[in-house]
Amino acid sequence: MGNASNEISQVASDVVHYNPSDLGNWVDSMLTELIHQQFPPSDLQDFPYHDTWTDQIGSQQNQNLNHNQQLTVVSTTMDEEDSGIRLVHMLMSCAELMQRGDFSLVASMIQEMQVLLTRVNTRCGIGKVAGYFIDALGRRLFSPISTACGGYSVLENEILYHNFYEACPYLKFAHFTANQAILEAFDGYDCVHVIDFNLMHGLQWPALIQALALRPGGPPLLRLTGIGPPSPDGRDTLREVGLRLAELARSVNVRFVFRGVAASRLEDVKTWMLQVSSKEAVAINSIMQLHKLLYMDPGRGSAIDTVLSWIRSLNPRIITVVEQEADHNQPEFLDRFTEALYYYSTMFDSLEACGLRPEKSLAEIHIQREICNILCCEGSGRIERHEPLVKWRTRLSESGFKPVHLGSNAFKQASMLLTLFSAEGYCVEEREGCLTLGWHSRPLIAASAWQAVPDEPTSSLAPMLNSQNSNVM
Amino acid sequence: MEDNRGKKKLPGPKFCINDHVDILVEILKRLDGDTLAVAACVCQLWHSITRHDSLWENLCFRHVPSPPPSGIKPVVLALGGYKRLYMLCLRPVLNRLSRFGLRDRVDHVQLTLSLFCVDCYERLGGGGGKLGESSASSSSSSLILQQIFVLGPIQ
Repeated sequence: MGNASNEISQVASDVVHYNPSDLGNWVDSMLTELIHQQFPPSDLQDFPYHDTWTDQIGSQQNQNLNHNQQLTVVSTTMDEEDSGIRLVHMLMSCAELMQRGDFSLVASMIQEMQVLLTRVNTRCGIGKVAGYFIDALGRRLFSPISTACGGYSVLENEILYHNFYEACPYLKFAHFTANQAILEAFDGYDCVHVIDFNLMHGLQWPALIQALALRPGGPPLLRLTGIGPPSPDGRDTLREVGLRLAELARSVNVRFVFRGVAASRLEDVKTWMLQVSSKEAVAINSIMQLHKLLYMDPGRGSAIDTVLSWIRSLNPRIITVVEQEADHNQPEFLDRFTEALYYYSTMFDSLEACGLRPEKSLAEIHIQREICNILCCEGSGRIERHEPLVKWRTRLSESGFKPVHLGSNAFKQASMLLTLFSAEGYCVEEREGCLTLGWHSRPLIAASAWQAVPDEPTSSLAPMLNSQNSNVM
Repeated sequence: MEDNRGKKKLPGPKFCINDHVDILVEILKRLDGDTLAVAACVCQLWHSITRHDSLWENLCFRHVPSPPPSGIKPVVLALGGYKRLYMLCLRPVLNRLSRFGLRDRVDHVQLTLSLFCVDCYERLGGGGGKLGESSASSSSSSLILQQIFVLGPIQ
């Protein structure tokens, strides 16, 4: 296969940004599983080899390919593999053309790719991922920016999110790891306050409530402030979630107080709305929310600085941050496209391995929405600005936070969670005190914990020191 | 009781386990989950006995390396009971751990309880599975709902 890839690369040499044989190997590995599942070897030997894609996308290099193939290999599998690899190359070329502004060429390439897509199995593997990416390129080209990202209502978003929660272990990993860090940070406090940046259905909190109920020494008073978007149809979803959590807390005898803050943007929240008291231990929980604040508005600066500064002002005991482990915030379209192609292919692979579940298709739509936002939207509309852990580490350290190591308990719990829920192939890794969950050594989601670095003693402390001194004297 | 092989067989032993429920309970307490479920199908008496949560309580933490945290009983009962805990969470967990040879080595109690709690919450309608239904029962005495602020986008 290495030779075949080189032949293709001669034709596409001016737009290749990666060593083609590497891409070939990568697609190879994705397709090998597919082939071994779908085409048991015993059936293969009877099929004569013939080259079927000459007429469709014909050009000279196909003859070169013939020389390099072994005749015992089945035509249909070769056809699919080649089509798969060709699709990837075409996607990359198309993205580069898009970046260059060659829109008519992009349009014709999209059509070609859609033809090629019919030759590949679009129910799994490279075919499925390619389908979504071709769709995204089409949207970027043909739809106006406002509708390109598909306007889903708040309710639909919640349903998609819930299905993503059920279909694969990423969100469960996020919740359990964050809860463990929060539980350890709350040790010894009788009054605790959790601020959740994205309440959704509040699925993270039952486990924390139960863990606090069984805490040696008895449960504290738990206050939960859930931030979420306002529901347009008059239903008060935040309040409903709060009521259910309260009922659960009551049944296990944990004193519980809920507060909902409906805000469509995190930067609109003001600290007085959270009503944090100085006597309580505060935990801030952000599951995949911080990256939405990274847009740098030329007039107003970026929202992340606003939010990080009010987080600091609350003096939290712990801040749990879970983010996608990918660099989808690069300014150049082609870089984002390439990174997204690798990232989401891996993610779709991992989803496949979780087996047939009813939640899978809606979970895929949840992922597809992210893909569309990364590729089709720009400016303030592009909210999926994922950044990798190293960048978050720098950003948070510069904003006055220091990392808190997620202990071995969190690691053990995450590993156990994986053995319970998932297929072989998921892996939990510990990286400088942070935990990542990935698929086959590619980390896809990273969880970390932080604390605000106390300020230098300021003038507000000085009077207190002076009065102490005067008492002594 | 005579043992005359040539004659008609004598009636069987007069001892019937169903007359001695305490012994029956002691025996059933030691069964594993699947056998217990089978036992529940034997007769009305056995069925009603196996529904006692205490039987399942024994089963739940039999294999754990360290004893479960104190105060666990009211929590489990509040969340749905030991039988439900076993059938819904513990059994799949133990099966899975056995596959990896970890069943007796790993302390899965905390995680299993957390999963049980999530399940209880979802049954309350909290998972979004029953969207559109009216909100849960009226607030209890320990619930204090604060006012909710609604913020729109700042123009």
